[in-house]
Amino acid sequence: MSTTTTPGRGAPGGFAGAIASEWTKLWSVRAPYLCVLAGLVITGVFTYYYASIARINDDPVQPVGNAAGSSAVLVQFAFVILATVAVTSEYSTGSVRASLLWVPRRHRVQAAKALVAAGVAFVAGAAFAVLGTAVAWAAFDGRATFESGQSLRQVLAIGLYQASVAVLTVGVAFATRHPAGALSILVTLLWALPSVLLGLGGPTLTDVNDHLPHGAGDRLMSIGADAPSTPVTAVTAVLIVAAWAATAHLIGLYVLRRRDA
Amino acid sequence: MISLRGLTKRYGDTLAVDELTLDIEAGRVTGFLGPNGAGKSTTMRMILGLDHPTRGRALIAGRPYADLRRPLRVVGAMLDARAVHPARSGRTHLVAQARAGGIPVRRVDEVLETVGLTKAARRPAGTYSLGMSGRLGVAGALLGDPPVLVLDEPVNGLDPDGVRWIRRLVRERAAEGRTVFLSSHLMSEMQLTADHLVVVGRGRLLSDTPMTEFLAAASPASARAVVPDPGERATLVRRLMTADGVSVETSASGELTVEGRTAAEIGDLAHHCRVRLHRLSDVRVSLEQAYMELTARSVEYGAGGSAATDEGARQ
Repeated sequence: MSTTTTPGRGAPGGFAGAIASEWTKLWSVRAPYLCVLAGLVITGVFTYYYASIARINDDPVQPVGNAAGSSAVLVQFAFVILATVAVTSEYSTGSVRASLLWVPRRHRVQAAKALVAAGVAFVAGAAFAVLGTAVAWAAFDGRATFESGQSLRQVLAIGLYQASVAVLTVGVAFATRHPAGALSILVTLLWALPSVLLGLGGPTLTDVNDHLPHGAGDRLMSIGADAPSTPVTAVTAVLIVAAWAATAHLIGLYVLRRRDA
Repeated sequence: MISLRGLTKRYGDTLAVDELTLDIEAGRVTGFLGPNGAGKSTTMRMILGLDHPTRGRALIAGRPYADLRRPLRVVGAMLDARAVHPARSGRTHLVAQARAGGIPVRRVDEVLETVGLTKAARRPAGTYSLGMSGRLGVAGALLGDPPVLVLDEPVNGLDPDGVRWIRRLVRERAAEGRTVFLSSHLMSEMQLTADHLVVVGRGRLLSDTPMTEFLAAASPASARAVVPDPGERATLVRRLMTADGVSVETSASGELTVEGRTAAEIGDLAHHCRVRLHRLSDVRVSLEQAYMELTARSVEYGAGGSAATDEGARQ
């Protein structure tokens, strides 16, 4: 011990330390960069086509932010994969035991992971929405309206939706521990089930879809004639999305606490 | 200090750890031995809060690991050296650890220097050899300069230099008054490193004794002597055999192996009978022999002579 110094009090550790640690871990592997890049590309392509098709089909004039709002159905999977890998790669490499040694309060580990993933999803999701809105504005070529307050609301709604998806994903990933299991659940919940429900149609199935995460989220992200965004439905929609994220978080926490690492 | 109180872990019908009660004291190196499947790793994981005990408690400085306010400043642990994300560099791995534990990041470079990984610090951990992974694991254990070290197979994969380095390192830490608890399959190494031994078999505590007592209890004193003159040799053997509990074997080359007498006793007797000796030495019981004797009856898989084969097959 003669050659080493005793560490001072240093950084705070605790929850702040857990967040800093998760942040360091997240960006020290390639997966999140690829996910963000994929989200960026999907946003650009999707919003361009969305606006172009609306222009070609001579659709009714709509808020320009709808292009980005609709792109969320695909872009969300960039954050699903980012958050899934952040959890399941620790189980596949065994490094989750290191994480739990560093932060033995398990709820803290999960909360830190969820918060970091949600923060990335919010910032990147909102940034993509801004970019998608710009791309769409050009491609709509006059078949869309721009109102700064409304567009800003849509951008924030998209960011919040993607953040909620990230929290939901972290919960599911802690519950399943395997990427295949987590992704099948999330693809079903966020894409396959809504497609089936809306494909079959009818008021009941549409109502069910409105209570799924993406259905509810879409009420906030897109503004259309068929989905009047009254204050009540917006609040309800926020609560529905939040409830899904919270439920998944608690299920993940239950498994994380109960099972041996 | 680590205290285990009735620590028990059950997996279905299997009792992996069965009512383990013991104290691992500060200021000495406590070796943890047992056949594969005896519950060593499970015990270590329970001490570190990774596995939940079915019953009983594992306390470090009086608290469960998860309740320690700054766990990395209290316990340095190395369980599985390979449990690092292969794409992450060794240094980033330690930086993430330092951030989680509220430890200054400059300390990372200090421990990398201590374990001799400075050059490879920025390479992905997946490219490390087993020995380098082991050094990274030790670096993580030392990061918070903790008073308690828990090391599972720390010399695994290390070259002879590394093995000696670990031995010196843990002996120094124990001499500073820290608690060191380590497992190893290398008996000769354990014999050189540990002051105290905890042996488990089938999840049960078989022995919790100082190394010297453990070795002494395993077999009676014995010694070897070379007597060049055949007549004098016969005299010495006759005199030795008069006592109960002493047996003497004579090899073809004339070397005597005496069980039940120490070298000192034989030397005195030889002097008394005016017998010339060319060589006289105590037969040191190896830890391996002593350990085999103790665990022979409790090896979980297989029995008697087939035990070793079965253990090999399980690895």
